[in-house]
Amino acid sequence: MIILLLLITPIITAIACVFTKKHGISKYISIAGSFIALVYNIYLNYNIYTYKTLQGFNNFFYVDALTILTTQIVTIVAFAAALYSAGYMEAELHDCRISEKKLQWYYFLMHMFIFTMLLVCVINNLGVMWVAIEGTTLATTFLVGFYNKKQHQEAAWKYIILCTVGITLALFGVILTYHSAKGVLGEIGYALNWSDLRNVADKFEPHLMKLAFLFILVGYGTKAGLAPMHTWLPDAHSQAPSPISALFSGVLINCSMYGIIRYHILTSKCVGSDYSCTLLMIFGLISVIVSIPFILVQKDYKRLLAFSSVEHIGFIALGIGFGGMYSVYGAELHTFNHAVTKSLLFFCAGNLFLKYKTTEMENIRGVIKTLPVTGTILAIGVFAITGTPPFNIFVSEFLVLADGFHSGNLFTIVFTCVLIVCITLIFVGFIYNMYRMIFGTPAGDVPKGETSKFTIAAMLFLLFFVLIISFYVPPLLREVLRNIYDIVRNA
Amino acid sequence: MTQQIIVNSRTIDILAVLMLITTIILIGTSRLRTCIWAYACRSFMLTLASGLIACFSGIHHIYITTGISLALKVIVIPGFLFYIVKKNNIKKEVGSYINYTLALILACGIILIAYYSTQNIIQFENTFMRHCLPIALSITLLGFFIMISRKQAITQIIGLITMEDGMFFAALSTSYGMPLIVELGLFFDILVSVIIMGIYVYRIKESFDDLDTGLLKELRE
Repeated sequence: MIILLLLITPIITAIACVFTKKHGISKYISIAGSFIALVYNIYLNYNIYTYKTLQGFNNFFYVDALTILTTQIVTIVAFAAALYSAGYMEAELHDCRISEKKLQWYYFLMHMFIFTMLLVCVINNLGVMWVAIEGTTLATTFLVGFYNKKQHQEAAWKYIILCTVGITLALFGVILTYHSAKGVLGEIGYALNWSDLRNVADKFEPHLMKLAFLFILVGYGTKAGLAPMHTWLPDAHSQAPSPISALFSGVLINCSMYGIIRYHILTSKCVGSDYSCTLLMIFGLISVIVSIPFILVQKDYKRLLAFSSVEHIGFIALGIGFGGMYSVYGAELHTFNHAVTKSLLFFCAGNLFLKYKTTEMENIRGVIKTLPVTGTILAIGVFAITGTPPFNIFVSEFLVLADGFHSGNLFTIVFTCVLIVCITLIFVGFIYNMYRMIFGTPAGDVPKGETSKFTIAAMLFLLFFVLIISFYVPPLLREVLRNIYDIVRNA
Repeated sequence: MTQQIIVNSRTIDILAVLMLITTIILIGTSRLRTCIWAYACRSFMLTLASGLIACFSGIHHIYITTGISLALKVIVIPGFLFYIVKKNNIKKEVGSYINYTLALILACGIILIAYYSTQNIIQFENTFMRHCLPIALSITLLGFFIMISRKQAITQIIGLITMEDGMFFAALSTSYGMPLIVELGLFFDILVSVIIMGIYVYRIKESFDDLDTGLLKELRE
């Protein structure tokens, strides 16, 4: 029941936002709706804490620790994004970049987007999960092309074409899984339920599962932004409105990664974990390496953040691929950390855009003087995202890297060494680019002061999570992460 | 398998080969209208194959998907594509990144790859899947090939739905279609994505005054 409530809330919010007569109140509806979803999710979290798994509606929904982590990220970032949108889109409205009617559609699409992401997480049937992941693409295409200029249309076209192609390839993986499941489970219509499949996965045809995982990895990997299928990502992330970029980077790519992990578990059980782990590690390392040159020579701060997302999703794939206790724990913690930190940075980027009306880093100097609060948070966020101690990303990256060395496998150790070099280079690129922007003498014509209180509130909300994980992982989250390790390994 | 159904596999084999041939026609032609007709023909054959499988296997939900497929893939989507072509007044044919002779040779290579890569799977099967799975994979990969080799936005949409057709056929031939709820979701997704792409074709035509996707290059490093 609670699962259904969690799913219905964003739909009701979306419809309420678009049908309200007064334009002004849709932002309050949006904030309230996402807050209710957040509360439901906390309640669901406590249920999982007690019962480990929940199933509902004739096994249509299936919730375990892996789900909870992803829905947690979705609801937290969604609440922050709703709060941020209230300030950000109001300012855009004020600048006459959008109309009031369009703003209502913006809220509608945003909440439908949140709904499809929640659906991806709680669904048991792998086929419907595929439909939901495709649904996230469809819900967001208009958000990517929201301002409807040439570059936005280009980004939107690239986004829908590449992602739909990727997802279509993933469908082949789903079909092959279904075929092998049918051979084992017989002609029952529920043959695609993940909870049934994981019990019988060891009886599947190994050739089929290997091929299926390959297609799934390439297909969902496109949506997750794993290189070399990531080319849509920097365009879409940089052209979408900032709150949507935050949702993209923070949660959308994690939802696709969630899909990959579900198949990773099935494949590990069928053919042994080496096959899928090696593939994840290779794609992960390629993603980290590919992002380096683009981060070093980047001119646009939103694209810089987008490429950083490619790096971090690669890092998560590597962590899952290493497969040890601490690396899986670390990778999942990293998922959470990356989501809150990257969303925070995209919010800062949005404030910069509102102030300076440009995304070129060349034209921005002295943020800390012009925008004292945003500047300070940006400075913290940049250190956090590059993995500087004592911040949260350092904790999770350290866990994964330590486990990489600890594994004793030569292949893994080489990967870990390369990874450390990459992370260092990215650190240099990030600090160089961002700190030129944060410090320095501001150009004279930009007035001082923050734009909106809503945006500051959203940023402080996320900063709270960044800081708390830096020093202390709450027991609820720790338990969830431990359970995820059990789910992944017990396979 | 619990049901030992003797499927008239020869008919389905012939339909599969015809589908492959129409896909190759799609690759060899530059005219937009011919492409849409070829797509509609192939969808019709797919629907026919689906209907035959429904008859032979006696699984009821395949009738439903056959019906939806007939309405959607044979009538609505080709109709919508013709509507876009007419509304945007597209007369100029936009070329391909590689010439058509080379494209046809590459297409043969792709079919060989599809047969080669499914060899491990099909040698254990004795149903009609043996011939149909490689063809389904070929159609999917050929659709992929159309998407990357053509510049014209509408041809790219056709490439995408070609891929989707290949998948549909793969599901049909390997496991008599997916569960009904998944099929319904799939049809919904295809319809919505084609409509959204149609809207973007219109918008791109408005701002770039052309449908050559090679012109979309503002976002570069």
